[in-house]
Amino acid sequence: MMGWLDFLFGKKVAKTTFVEAYEALFAKNIPDQRPISQLNFTVLDTETTGFDVKKDYIVSFGAVKVIGYRLQLNQSKEVYLNTPIQKADSLKVHEILYPIEISPLRDFAEDFLHYVGNDIIVGHHICFDLGMLEKLLKQYGLRNLLNPIIDTQALAMRLEKGPHYDPRMGKRGEYALDALCERYGIALDDRHTAAGDAFLTAQLLMKLLKLAEQKGIRTYGELI
Amino acid sequence: MSNVIVNRVKEFLNRFPPFHFLDEKTLMAVAKAVEVRYFGAGEYLFQKGDPAQDFFFVLREGSIHLIDQEDKGEKIVEICDEGDVFGVLALLGKRPYILNALVKEDSLVYAIPVAIFEKVLQENSRVSLYFAAGFASGQVVVRRDLSQGQKARSELKESSQDNGLLIFTGQSDMNFSKDVLCVCQGTSIGDAAKAMAEKGVGSVVITDDRKFPVGIITDKDLRNRVMAKGLSYEVKVEEVMTSPVITKRKDAGFAHLYLTMIKNRLHHLIFTEDGTVQSPVTGILSDHDILLSQGNSPAVLINALMNTWEVSEMAKVRDRAELLLKYYLENEVAMDFVANIISEINDIIIQRAVQLAKQKHDADHPEAANVKFCFLSLGSEGREEQLLRTDLDNAIVYEDVPAENEAAVRKYMLLIAEEIIEILLACGFQACPADMMANNPEWCQSLTQWKRYFSDWILSPNQKALMHATIFFDFRPVFGHRPLSDAMTEHIYQEISGKSVFLNFLAKNALLNPAPLGFFKNFIVEKSGEHRDKFDIKLRAMMPLTDMGRLLVLSHRVVGINNTFKRFEKIAELEPNHRELMLEAGKAYEILMRMRAIEGLRSGSSGRYIQPEALGKLQRQLLKNAFAPIDELQQVMRVRFQLDYFNS
Repeated sequence: MMGWLDFLFGKKVAKTTFVEAYEALFAKNIPDQRPISQLNFTVLDTETTGFDVKKDYIVSFGAVKVIGYRLQLNQSKEVYLNTPIQKADSLKVHEILYPIEISPLRDFAEDFLHYVGNDIIVGHHICFDLGMLEKLLKQYGLRNLLNPIIDTQALAMRLEKGPHYDPRMGKRGEYALDALCERYGIALDDRHTAAGDAFLTAQLLMKLLKLAEQKGIRTYGELI
Repeated sequence: MSNVIVNRVKEFLNRFPPFHFLDEKTLMAVAKAVEVRYFGAGEYLFQKGDPAQDFFFVLREGSIHLIDQEDKGEKIVEICDEGDVFGVLALLGKRPYILNALVKEDSLVYAIPVAIFEKVLQENSRVSLYFAAGFASGQVVVRRDLSQGQKARSELKESSQDNGLLIFTGQSDMNFSKDVLCVCQGTSIGDAAKAMAEKGVGSVVITDDRKFPVGIITDKDLRNRVMAKGLSYEVKVEEVMTSPVITKRKDAGFAHLYLTMIKNRLHHLIFTEDGTVQSPVTGILSDHDILLSQGNSPAVLINALMNTWEVSEMAKVRDRAELLLKYYLENEVAMDFVANIISEINDIIIQRAVQLAKQKHDADHPEAANVKFCFLSLGSEGREEQLLRTDLDNAIVYEDVPAENEAAVRKYMLLIAEEIIEILLACGFQACPADMMANNPEWCQSLTQWKRYFSDWILSPNQKALMHATIFFDFRPVFGHRPLSDAMTEHIYQEISGKSVFLNFLAKNALLNPAPLGFFKNFIVEKSGEHRDKFDIKLRAMMPLTDMGRLLVLSHRVVGINNTFKRFEKIAELEPNHRELMLEAGKAYEILMRMRAIEGLRSGSSGRYIQPEALGKLQRQLLKNAFAPIDELQQVMRVRFQLDYFNS
């Protein structure tokens, strides 16, 4: 409870040990020449109560890891959160089909930082998810996520239209996750779960990375 | 784990045989173990002759061709699409693949671990029948969704020969020529060549008047040293022969002979009566003799490594070496032989990595590239004991340069170090979690700085210094200018002499983990965490032995012996009154290494944690015997270094 009050009154929050452990992972940068096949990616997605970072909260979180064009199912994650406001409506939309266990926020924060480590974080329209996650992590003393970031939306634009493309010029929805999955032949089975979308995004990422390699983008330095 | 994702994979598998034979619970377990892989068009999932992977495959999406590669050309045997199961040789008998799997369109593939499916095969007769039917008739097991009917399947011709691991199993297999072509010194090259042609052999041994060997000439020598140079055929053989020659007794033991050839890169090894050049020739062993009778042999692997500059190819060879290792371990091949072979393969990969790094960067740093340096392996790799690709521990030492050049030289050294590490990671080695690697600026230093480090550790041995000592004192030069490494060794002995307090500290450190004597009454297992109820064979049994081996070697000022078991053998020589104990300690270490490597290969891990219940009776007995000398040795150390009076 203290954590929440401190947060609301803008008091500086002491760093928890798991935040310190997380930050220590970034003492060393990923070398520029490391090939794409040797990079570790965490692909994630969140489902939220709405689209306002200030007011809304994360309801569920899903993630998978991709290393060397491989994704191990037993390393996937799916968490339902004990958010301050549980909107019944939002749960209805997301159609959670499986018996779920609700995780306390603190456990989630610790697990999450341990899970992502110093991986490259990937997501579709990732800025929003990062904003939500950082808001949640702030109460445990984390200022910012330090990981390198890849937005699959931006990566797709870069690969299809070149690095100087202005997204405002394109058709509306051309780079939405659904549209891209369709374009790249990824089967859309059940959308609108965080884990399901993370899984789709991971498949999209692997396709885009292969495409990038064909275009001569082969290393971490060239990718980021 | 995410239920949403696992369910999605499960639903997909459930549409296809043999998965739809499985009950809900089993299918769930299979789905959880799936690895999703993505391949671009033009890549191969496996190629004919590759060793079986630990997975078989189900195509989720895309298109993959199974192709038979024949002398005349390629023949498409099967075109796989959604739901097809392929690569099942891995599941059935773990034989090498007999077809190429070529990705025609970008493909998403579900890789299913063989380990999890083996159980299914045993328990579910319908599934095993499904596989057996396809396999027994020599067909590729590829089936379509049942609702679409059976796909026409083309028959394979005779299933190809099992060209798996054919290696020497004993001395009896060693073929060599007893009838050696020899000529006397003073013979002309022309006459020597004539004799070779008449006999149809590729080499001739040159002997003196007592019939003792003094040199050798091979086909290649005739080409390179005679014809290419335009020498007259009248020139005497001694002017072009390779001399002196390396000789052995023919009964020196296969492992020893083979290693001599590999280490010295010899194509021919000459046998003499007493093994020295001071006795008559009795036979000759050529690498051709060895190659003829071997498939996946060390020589073949090393040869493959020496002939490639492709990192991906190097990684493949290293994977094949793992199969060889498994075979050796299971067949109780002598540990020093196994460790030597694997170290040699690792060393060549490291040497290649350094050369590749230099090729890439030297042109941009012409001055720094001329500075002499030496790439050092540390820790278990330094001791030539690293069988599995566990952590990389290494460092760079470079010669001292004028202060104004230091920054540029350092930059270059770190640049190539970074490159080397990346190549090694791509070859399947693991990064050192404590960052004791050459690309860490702290461990990429000039000779002077390294001397300073060692002096510090020796003069003020705190806990951290001791931790460093256990890794850095086992350094071994792998590539580059060896005198730099020799200078480090010499410096260490200089610093240690007269400062026995350092050895006392090392001794204290070596006794931190008491021998696990309670093992069989009450297992000393990890109390918590991921490895609960498992026995830490590295910390509990191996480390005490490596630590004591190092301590004894340092106290006897022995140079150049890095293997823990060889160290104990040497100490057995130096301390006749403890001879039995030292030899036992060495043997114990070999047993522990073998057990750890077998466990690592079995579980795909570092093999460090062993489950006591999972051990067979014989293994338990072996392990128990291995613990006894640890305890005895620790007591000897306690008295020798007066640890009961030594406090700090």
